Amino acid sequence: MSDDIKVPSVLVENASKWYGQVIGINDVSLAIEGGVTGILGPNGAGKSTLFKLLMGRIKPNQGSVKLFGIDPWEDTSPYRRIGYVSESERLYDWMTGQDFVSTLARLHGMTRNEADSRAEHVLEFVGLYDVRHKEIGKYSKGMRQRVKIAHALVHDPDLIILDEPLHGCDPIARTSIMNVIKELGNQGKTVLVSSHILEEIERITEQIVILHNGRLLALGNIYAIRDLLDKHPHRIMITTEEPRKLANAFIGEEPIYGVRFPEEGKLEIQTNDLSAAHSVLPRVIVESEVKVSRIDNPDDNLESLLEYLIGG
Amino acid sequence: MSEDLIDLDGGQTRMEAAYGSDDGDEDLFAITAKREASVGAIFEQNYRPWDGDFGPRWVRNYAIFRHHVFGLFSSKGHRNYNPFIRLTILVIFIGAISPIAMLFFSSLFGAEPDGFIDKMWGVNRSNLWGQVLGYFPRNLCYWPLLTALVVGGMISDDRRNGTSAIYFSRPVTRVDYTMMKYLSVAVVLGFVIIFSYMLYYTLAIVFKGEGWGFLIDTLPMFLAGLLCSILLVITYTSIGLALSSISQSRFFSAIAFLSIIYGTKLVALLIDLQFETSILYILSPYDCLAHFGQWMLGLELNYSHSLSLSVVSLILMNLVSILVLVSRVSSLEVTRE
Repeated sequence: MSDDIKVPSVLVENASKWYGQVIGINDVSLAIEGGVTGILGPNGAGKSTLFKLLMGRIKPNQGSVKLFGIDPWEDTSPYRRIGYVSESERLYDWMTGQDFVSTLARLHGMTRNEADSRAEHVLEFVGLYDVRHKEIGKYSKGMRQRVKIAHALVHDPDLIILDEPLHGCDPIARTSIMNVIKELGNQGKTVLVSSHILEEIERITEQIVILHNGRLLALGNIYAIRDLLDKHPHRIMITTEEPRKLANAFIGEEPIYGVRFPEEGKLEIQTNDLSAAHSVLPRVIVESEVKVSRIDNPDDNLESLLEYLIGG
Repeated sequence: MSEDLIDLDGGQTRMEAAYGSDDGDEDLFAITAKREASVGAIFEQNYRPWDGDFGPRWVRNYAIFRHHVFGLFSSKGHRNYNPFIRLTILVIFIGAISPIAMLFFSSLFGAEPDGFIDKMWGVNRSNLWGQVLGYFPRNLCYWPLLTALVVGGMISDDRRNGTSAIYFSRPVTRVDYTMMKYLSVAVVLGFVIIFSYMLYYTLAIVFKGEGWGFLIDTLPMFLAGLLCSILLVITYTSIGLALSSISQSRFFSAIAFLSIIYGTKLVALLIDLQFETSILYILSPYDCLAHFGQWMLGLELNYSHSLSLSVVSLILMNLVSILVLVSRVSSLEVTRE
């Protein structure tokens, strides 16, 4: 075989995993190489199962999983090139960030000096250098997430798998972690990051994988997938004291093709073009002189995207 | 508010101004409009690749081993043992080497050979057996408590906290993980049990100024005792770690270990007293070891049943424990969370 053929970092071929009667992953095939890829799906979609398959913690009932061309269930050598941040993984709270990362570096076979030096660097990279000598038990949630990322990076992996790294973080910590993830992608590393919040992933990457009920639902560029959503009616929910007056004002506007009154004091506008609808919205509201207290886009979330994709 | 603070071109400000209908709408061009706020430059990202070489398998395994063993002395970068556990282990160690102090004082005061102190603490068959396998205080108080304290949490903490993921997401196999946990427990137990035994024998010779003749006479007995102490460490480690791998609670493994050691002994004792048969002692790990030890050191046997039954029982106990341990470690992280 020619050496020119590059083996993808992650190759999943027709993989299925069942837990008794429960389907974890059902006939999923993926090949991922380079950059940041978001793994999206609601709770129970199979994201963690996919990651566990990748990490060799479970074996697929059918199909195969390969990391750098090697089955991780059979051979742990790919883990030299992988950094993994588990969603549920707890830390050694009595250790300082520096000791923790350094200790785990030694599990990769680094010497003490190498481990200490490398730990300092990755802690600096994730913004924990100043608090590296503080016990992890005293870290905030965002700092704990970052120290998890630091320990996953300490051996300079080529593939980084992050299971819900933004879960429970405050906005500043989220921004910090997102910056770290983006930077890793820019460095040419393959980064898989899971989340059930579309907006979080959207800020990190355009490349996404959507899972639902263990099946691969969509794969590719986030905007291309969103285009699928735009072919379905979008809803804009307006809370106002005069919904009927406002509805009259909207009728006849180009992007609006229907209105509804789902409950008292609410007006639902239906459109095929969300952007165009939002561009006419301010003008129509101002011209109608109706007081508006709230505007929502109930469709603008992952659940709606999934709903449309499932419903075809 | 100055114009540069307002995102006049951005959609958000205009939307808020347009949709706001309450009094004081003019104030709504507020803070959210500042575009820079969403950029979020919190710190510098400067990632430097690492171009060093990874050490071989034994270096990785040594890292696991030292994490657990060195933790007894310092929590810095190592496993965190409760100070009470450290103190108890120290007390047990001091208790285990207490005969050395008696021998030291007897040598200072020039006690008579074959006198009371020599009989009680000097090197002979009974005392060599007793240093490892004596029931009180060693196998009633010291060794079971020591094992319970060391194995409690050794694997169960990983199972409960998910910290086994820390190992299994690295090039550490389950075999390495199990072996290093086993070795760590065995080394700690061995340090207290075997090392105190060796120290006792060596210092007894030194303090009493014994010569080569004494050494030649007693060395086979010492080696027999050494073999028994190794067997004891292996057996207690196997049972203790198997129990630690079963549960998510460190207390379960500790209490279960003590229950097995004391419970089987108590039941066998009651049956022995009632029916005058020692056969049920084959269920007691301690008694199997004691039986074997008595035979190895040439002491009069306290048990009426065949030695081979105790030996077979001992082998089975270890095998079953190791099978349970392997099976439970194999299932770590494998089940659906």
